[in-house]
This record gives sequence, C-alpha cells and structure tokens, in this order.
Amino acid sequence: MQMPPALAPALPAGEAGQHYYLPSRSLAPAPPAAAPGWQRQQRRAYGWGLYPALMVLALITLAPLLTLIVVSLTPLSLTDPAGTFHFRDPLGNYRQLLKDPRFLHSLWVQFQLSSVGVTLQLLMGLGIALLLHGRSPVLGAVRSLFLIPMVLPPIVVALIWKILYTPDISPLHQALEALGWPLRSLIANPDTALWAVVAADTWQWFPFTMLMVLAALQMIPDDPLEAARMDGANRWQLLRFIVFPHIRAVLLVCALFRLIDSFKAFPLLYVLTNGGPGTVTEVTNFYGFIQAFNFSFWGYGSAIALVMLAGVFALSALVSRLGREGGHDAR
Amino acid sequence: MGASALWGMPAFAQRAKPLQGTTLNVALFSTAYSKLLRPWIAEFEESTGARVNFDTPGFPVYNQRTDLELSTKGSAYDVVNVTFIYSSRWINSGWLTPLDDFIANRNLTPADFDINDFLAGARAPETGADGKLYGVPWTAEVTLAAASRFDVLRSAGLAFPDTLDDFSRAVQTAHRKERAAGFVTDNHYGWTFPPFLQAFGGDVFRKAPHDLFPTLDTPEAIAAADYFARLLRDFGPDGAVSYTADQSLQSLKSGRSNLGIQGQIYLSQLADKASSKVAATTAWGAVPRGPAGRFPGSAVHGLGIPVGSKNAPAAWQFIAWATSRQITQRAVAAGYGSPTRRSDMQSQVFAERQRVNGYDIAKLSSEAIDLAAKQGHMKYRTVAVYPQIDQQINKAIELIVSGQKSAAAAMQQAQIGALAELKRSGIAV
Repeated sequence: MQMPPALAPALPAGEAGQHYYLPSRSLAPAPPAAAPGWQRQQRRAYGWGLYPALMVLALITLAPLLTLIVVSLTPLSLTDPAGTFHFRDPLGNYRQLLKDPRFLHSLWVQFQLSSVGVTLQLLMGLGIALLLHGRSPVLGAVRSLFLIPMVLPPIVVALIWKILYTPDISPLHQALEALGWPLRSLIANPDTALWAVVAADTWQWFPFTMLMVLAALQMIPDDPLEAARMDGANRWQLLRFIVFPHIRAVLLVCALFRLIDSFKAFPLLYVLTNGGPGTVTEVTNFYGFIQAFNFSFWGYGSAIALVMLAGVFALSALVSRLGREGGHDAR
Repeated sequence: MGASALWGMPAFAQRAKPLQGTTLNVALFSTAYSKLLRPWIAEFEESTGARVNFDTPGFPVYNQRTDLELSTKGSAYDVVNVTFIYSSRWINSGWLTPLDDFIANRNLTPADFDINDFLAGARAPETGADGKLYGVPWTAEVTLAAASRFDVLRSAGLAFPDTLDDFSRAVQTAHRKERAAGFVTDNHYGWTFPPFLQAFGGDVFRKAPHDLFPTLDTPEAIAAADYFARLLRDFGPDGAVSYTADQSLQSLKSGRSNLGIQGQIYLSQLADKASSKVAATTAWGAVPRGPAGRFPGSAVHGLGIPVGSKNAPAAWQFIAWATSRQITQRAVAAGYGSPTRRSDMQSQVFAERQRVNGYDIAKLSSEAIDLAAKQGHMKYRTVAVYPQIDQQINKAIELIVSGQKSAAAAMQQAQIGALAELKRSGIAV
C-alpha cells in the first residue's frame, strides 16, 4: 500500500504500524524532534479516545486498592464505624502486625504451603507432561482425564478430600485398614494437617503445569532433538540440554501463577481444617478473613491484605527476574 | 376461608394480595425450622402477593454474611435471623428495627399472635438494653447429653451419667464397645465446652455482662479443659477435632460414637427411625453436673428486621406469619423439636413426639431453659465481644486435643488472646 507523501518521511520503517495501531504511544514522552501538527492532533485524538477506558480501568483496579490502603491506616471496626474511622495512629495496625504471633505464624504456614505445594505441582505437572507427551488417542484421553481436577469448582475438590480424610467414611482409610495399615486422621493431626492440605491442592493444580508444559513440548522443533540423538545423546541429556531450556520459561510462568494463586488458598482450608487443629493450617489470608469477617476489624484485616499484596508483588518481581536471568543464561 | 385467614393474618393482610409487588429477602441459616418453613412460604406468597427470596446458607456463612450486611446498614435483607451469639452486638449497635410498634399494631399483627406466649427466657436475649424487642424467637436450643447405645452402658451396670465422674466412667466403659467411640461432640467448642467449664466452677468472664475480665486460665478452667479435651482425645472417634455438628450427629446416628453432648435440635434426631440406626437404643439426659452444679448451654435465635430494610412493615408481616401459632403448631406437628411458644411446648402433640424410649426430651429441654434463666449462666454468650472469645476457646481446645499444648498452656494462651481482643474492642478490663 502506498503511503501518503506527508507521512512517509516521518515514520521510520517498521514503526509505521505501531504508530497507527498502538494508541498508548500517545502517552509516551514526545520525541525530541517536533512532530508535524497533524500527527500531534492525531495522537491527541487517540489519547482522548483512550481516556474513558483508562478511567474505567483506574476506577475498577485502583479505587479498591486505594480504599484498602486508606482503611488499613485506620482501626476501623464495623461495630463502631464512626468512632473507629480515624487516622490518629496510621501505622498502628502495621505495628500490631509485627507483634501479633498469630499473624507471624500465619506467614510461616503460608510459606510452607506455597513453597512445598508449588514445588510439588511443578514436579508432578512436569513429570506427567513428559510421560504423556506423544501423539496417540490413548495419551490424549489420559491427558483429558488428568485435567478434571483443575476444572472442578474448588468447593467440590474440598468436599472430595474432606470425605477422603474423614476416617469414618473414607474409602482410603477403609482400604488401608482392610490391608492392615490403619491410618489415623490426617487433618486432625497437627503433624500432617498442613501436608494433607498440600496434597489436595497439588492434586487440584498439577494439571495446570502439565497442560502448560505439554503445550511447550509441542513447540520444540524436531531438528535439534534428532541431531542430538544422532550424536549419541541419551534421554537424560536430551531433557537436560534441549527440552528443559525450551520449557524453562513456561515452568517459571507456571511457578509464578501458582505461587500467586497459593496466596489465595481458601476453600480447601475452610472445609478441611478451618485453619486448625489450633492454627497449624491458618495461612495469612485465612487469618485476614477471620479478622475482617468474623471479628469485623476491617482496618486490621486490610493491613493484613496489604502485607500479602506486597508479598505477592515481591515474589512476582523475583520470579520474573529469575526468569529473565534464566533466559540470558539459556542464550 | 382464605389462606390469610387460615394463618391468622391481621385485617390488613386479609385484603386481597396486600403485598402485591413487594419482594422480601429473608435470610436464615439452614436448620430444621427453615427446612419446614420453605415449602410453606408459597402459601404466604399466595395470600399476601409478596414474593419471598428465602436464603438459608450454613450457620457460619450466614453469620459472616449477615454481620457484614447489617454493619453497613444495607437493605439487602428484609428479614434476618438474630443469631444468639451476635444478638447483643447487632441489637445494641442499632442495626435492627425494634418490633414493639409492629406487635402493638392490630392492623399489622393478629390478636392471637400474643408475644407473651413466647417463653420469657427466649425473649430476653432478643431484647435490647432499651427494653425493646428486636427478634421474635423461633428456636430455644439447649445442650443435652445422649447415649446412642445406652444398651451397652446398661449391660455394664451403668445408669445414665449424672455427674462428671459418672460421665467420664460411662465414656470409658463405652469406648471401643461394638466399634463405637466413647464420646463425640461438635467442634464448635465455644458452645460445647462451657457447660463443662461452668460445672467445674469456672466461667468465660468474671461476671458477664458487667465485668468482662476473662477467666480462661483459672485452675477450674484449666481442669475443665483438661477433662473435656481428654474425653475427645482418648475416647473420641479418629479425627474428632475436625467433627462439625452434622458429622458428630451422623457419628451418633450410625452408632459409631456412643455418648455425645450437643444441642437438642441435633440430639432429638437420634429418635428418627428413618435415618437413625440407634433410635431404639438411645437415652437422653441433662449435661453432667460438676462440683459447681449443672450448666446446660442455651441459645435463642429469632427473626428480626434490619434497620436498612426498605420493606419493614411487609417484613414484619412475614415474621408474624412465620412465628404465628398456626405455623409453629404445624411445625411441631411435623416434628419440629425446638418451639419457643409455651402453648406449643405444652401441647399434647409435642409432648408425645418428644417422649422417646421412656425419655422426655421436651421436659429435659424446658428444664434446661428454666435453669439457664434462673442461674443466668448464659450471659457470657451475648456480650458483643464474645465471637472473638469463642474463637479463643475453639483454638485452645483444639490445641489440647491435638496434643500441641497442655491444658494450662493452651488456656493461658486463650486468656492472653482474650485480653488482647477485649483491649482491641475498647473494653476496659
């Protein structure tokens, strides 16, 4: 397509399309050289067109966040909203968090749940994806079966595991007892309760990693694999030096998604253990939920939520950075 | 005769479809009463023209949702259950509408409604500090004891346990007899533990509602916690600490547990031949007596109107209907085991239904209500900060049963936690 004569000199080759189709550039700093007047008008027009959408987006995403920040700076309690919505000690909630042993314990529980749970999900997802990678109707059917836990509503998953973990009615416990290996309740034992929740969470979410890795495996070109095989590489070497570099970025994305999601673990804990026995399975968001919705301490609950948010941001940044560094290494 | 006349509607409601076009959002937790009421609501809708959205989530979900809604003074609900544990908080925070004017208005309330027919002990927790009534009670639940396999105890030469020592002996005797655990109870320990705490001479607060200094680490409280936790740890079913009220009931109904302490609404279901394997072998009795006496738990729930409701008169119409003599009599006839009208409790139908295997559950319940009213030992439960203390008790018992802490350490931790919660709530102790 022939460009209009006035446009051709102003747009470097390869960028013309971006100028036309990425109106967000209109928000970028102006280029050193003054752009022709019609271009400025065009950018301004794009900008005006974009502002309503940006405002809606800001309203939807930033307003709740700002509310959360503001509320976290107050001791707001819903039993006395008028008397407790003030800023006399804006950092009071945060100071109290540092001294609250139940909150600090919840961070440790969260760390254990997230780190072990996500690691297991990645390992299982990767392992099963490698086993099921292939072109056969049987493998396709098995892949579909493995996806079922992921698409079940979380509350259904929680109920399935509640049945499995209740010795009186559990087929698992009954089968083990029949074999002469009676198993005590896992969710009532403080040594096993958290790991019982981790097992249920892993069962539900390893298919996510499996699905992502399977998709990545299908993108690996055959040539390097065949070349390596001809050079005598064994299966481990193929995995280590060819397959793994190709799927590493996907694994990092999976880790990031699952890590963030693990902070939101709730239905499993609510149904299986209710944070107990004692507080051994009480993760941070569960504790925040209790403070806000059982006790009506919204200020304190908001402070807990903000600390979690900061944690999620920090983790996301860390994982992204690791991903970038990993990418450089791979190259 | 029209349906409205049949249900004792006032003159106002006996006009054709007086609430046509009105939608009432009613929230009550899932319970025997709500299950009975649900199919009958169509009759209320038919006679008044109102449309009723009847929401009945589980108890904890209901409380969280309603607490939040009421605290914002929102208009999402027109009728709510005034939950016992939240009654002081909801009423004294000004989140509910006083009902006295509706009750006194003959245009809105039929003459035979008679608020004084409701037990005084059941109305008391629904009454605010201003003396006004904020909820019409529909259930007065008390904690009772039951032995689902009393035949096992009897064959061992034991009578139904009366004292804490008897109870402990009975539980030990019953444990692992015919594959049943000795004892089971609902893991809402803030409800099931206080009868033991008070029987040992302890209490939750020094003197509720006036002196709210917590007393969870007294020698009596520690001894009670040790006793109670030992029942669950040594003689409970595997995983007893995770048993909800429903699970506990199922364990008793199926004969997998023998002795239990729970609300009579649950324990009376052991007599249901259709669903209970132990209907013929169950015995009922009062909660055990300790050195300080007998302290059955009692809890009253009522129907009230949120202050934010836009349909208060219509909401009252629903409450007046749902707690009318006609409806409560019908519920009792259908097997409802926890009426709050004296006329229902004294009715022949109720007396016959509640007499099972030679035990009079209705009499046990009314005695427990009277005892609670006389001793005033349930006052700890309706202070505004109790939900937080309830949680401290739950956690303490869980810690002891699961072997994470000794009774002394767990109760001391609960005491510290309770003091912190009181301080945060602005209560000087």
